[in-house]
Amino acid sequence: MGILRVDELRKSYGAVRAVDGMSFDVERGELFGFLGPNGAGKTTTIRSLTGQIVPDAGTISVLGTDPTTAPLETRRRVGILPEQASPPSFLTPREYLEFVGDVRELDEATVAAGIEHWAERLGFASKLETLHTDLSRGQQQKVMIAQAFIHEPAVVLIDEPLANLDPLVQEQVKQFLTAYAADDNAVFVSTHNIDVAADICTRVGIVADGRIVTERSLVDETGDSLLETFLEHVDDADARDMPALERTEIEA
Amino acid sequence: MSGEQTGQDEPQTGQLERVSDIGGGIGSGGVDSGRVGGIGNGTNRLLFTTLLREEWRLHTRLFGGWRFASFPLLIVLLAAGATVALLETGTAPSTIVLGLHVLALGFGLYSGTAGFAGSNMLENVFGRLSLVLSSASTLPLSRRRLLGIFLVKDALFYAVVFVLPMATAAVPIGGRSATTPTDLLALWFSLSLVFAAGMTATVALIAVRTRGVPTWAIALALVSAAAGTWALDGSAAIESVRTLIVPLSGSLPAAVGLAGGTALVAAASLALYDPTYGRPTRTASDRFSQLRAAGDRLPFADDPLVVKTLLDLSRSAGGVWKPFVSAGILLALVAALVGVVREITGIEPAPGIFFGGVLGLAAFTTYNWLTQFDSLEFYLTYPVAIDDVFRAKRAAFVLVGTPAVAVPYLAAVIRFEATLVDAAVGAILLAGYGLYYYGLTVSIAGFDPNEFLFDSVRFGTFTVGVAVAIVPTLVAGFVVVPPTPTLAAALAVAGIGFGALGIVLSGRAGPKWAERYRNE
Repeated sequence: MGILRVDELRKSYGAVRAVDGMSFDVERGELFGFLGPNGAGKTTTIRSLTGQIVPDAGTISVLGTDPTTAPLETRRRVGILPEQASPPSFLTPREYLEFVGDVRELDEATVAAGIEHWAERLGFASKLETLHTDLSRGQQQKVMIAQAFIHEPAVVLIDEPLANLDPLVQEQVKQFLTAYAADDNAVFVSTHNIDVAADICTRVGIVADGRIVTERSLVDETGDSLLETFLEHVDDADARDMPALERTEIEA
Repeated sequence: MSGEQTGQDEPQTGQLERVSDIGGGIGSGGVDSGRVGGIGNGTNRLLFTTLLREEWRLHTRLFGGWRFASFPLLIVLLAAGATVALLETGTAPSTIVLGLHVLALGFGLYSGTAGFAGSNMLENVFGRLSLVLSSASTLPLSRRRLLGIFLVKDALFYAVVFVLPMATAAVPIGGRSATTPTDLLALWFSLSLVFAAGMTATVALIAVRTRGVPTWAIALALVSAAAGTWALDGSAAIESVRTLIVPLSGSLPAAVGLAGGTALVAAASLALYDPTYGRPTRTASDRFSQLRAAGDRLPFADDPLVVKTLLDLSRSAGGVWKPFVSAGILLALVAALVGVVREITGIEPAPGIFFGGVLGLAAFTTYNWLTQFDSLEFYLTYPVAIDDVFRAKRAAFVLVGTPAVAVPYLAAVIRFEATLVDAAVGAILLAGYGLYYYGLTVSIAGFDPNEFLFDSVRFGTFTVGVAVAIVPTLVAGFVVVPPTPTLAAALAVAGIGFGALGIVLSGRAGPKWAERYRNE
């Protein structure tokens, strides 16, 4: 049984069915890709998984907790990296991470060590005393990555992990996420970037119309590319935000 | 706004739709590479109409079409209703007209308060709300030009949806006669002019700020000017203020002068405005851990949510002085009103009761400042209960709001020579009503106090809630001067009662908004 389990999840906003019968499991050691076009229901699913919203139906289990009934307990145990840009906070990265450590009830020594470790690893050590609002978007994203991992959670939920990062740091983050998942943790990555999913995920669930339409393992797999699989299962209506996406035969 | 910022998929689709609308509009209007050098009046018109359309859609999407569309009707009801009530109680028409102008000026100043805070607010607040305004980096349009058209649009938009309904007060003032339409139009023009002057003053401050003038210097200059004017206390000064803020009562040349001066200052401000202004990157020592370490000595410092709120406020443009400036503007407007009313009618209110009742309204702006730099969605990614977030905001409100209103209140009771009883009752009213207005704001608007202004249902509820407390208090403050012991005791009980109600309202806001956010 997975440490992250979703069964028949449903959520509507008025007449719009954002999530419609979503089911999947994620095991320890997996880097699970939640791949789908905009509007497929990815963010709504993540918000349900972290107890930010209450679903209309279905069951969720995250590390044995139910985020619908015990959202704080779930959020205490997991790390969350939202896609939404962080608000214009005037704390410095050091203060921001101290704030996160504080609300996560970590001891000061752990937080202090975590700050040095992550600042060094992601390359923002020289920016630790700069106000967050004065950092570039890429630097802000690095700080947000650090806050999601500072308490070393067994499950991390990430919405678009590589947004705003330069290529070098993207590569570092990809390697880190792979290693982190392999260390008996689970990393759940929501993305609409097929290349990112193909690059780092061990398994991918393709989302369309508010549910997973197919899953496939990417470990030692040959055959169709992930893009081919994606196009097979995401029809024109689901790909409405990618109007230029169409099959093109390239002759050798 | 919260619906659009939640990061959920559906509202994002809405934003995309808006982008495509606007993009299509501009593209079809001809701001293309072939015309960059020849952008002229046609493009200005296109930008203006696009911004106007965007403003309308923003409000109707935020509040729902009918709730926003009925907002002007609500203002009509409030303006006409209040005018009838004031006339019935013997208030002079000239005093009502003056009050309307003070409101219009205050609204004009307030419309630009976010801009007064500095460029970071301009980017983060206006840029987030208006996609066209923030398109200078992607379209061949200068930031100065966009800002200019944006402000003209704002002035005209609010002149129609807010100031015009206010001007319907002319109907009960003048009675229904053949000249009523003319009276209404004249009052509308007069109020719009004062509103535009207020907006322009704020724009001028933004422009000065973009030239690197420190915020503290601007604040100091404003306070000095206000204090200097106040110290004059001559009938000539009072008359000058009245002529300035009530063009309808002054001469035509004075009104034309105000209009010309406003246009001139607006043009100069845009010319002065430096679109390339970028604040130098700022660093700070670790104040967070220092404050947290002082948790046993400083009130509320043991709560990281309070410390974060206070640090965000103190480091944003304008710092902790912003609530003081907002309260100072309120004080200046009310003091001007009191002075002019005294000149007209010879009646002067009990200053403690009057200023205590009114200055509590600064609770709205103070709370607004405290919620500018975070969102509930932000806290929902951490193991933090929404209830705790609201509790932290209330603690921060008490810490910041108390001195922000206490200083102007003390200045007012000293300046207007309040009796001891009057000053004591006023202080109770200030504290109690401040807490009540705060509780009312939090209960009705949640985490977005700045965005419910044009939601007719919420605004109506807020207005009625405020009126229930303030109207009887102001009437008592004007009628019984100095206050009798019985009246003083009754008002003190009212202050304590409303304060308790405010605490209950703000205490219930956490569970209420948690439920609403989680079950959206």
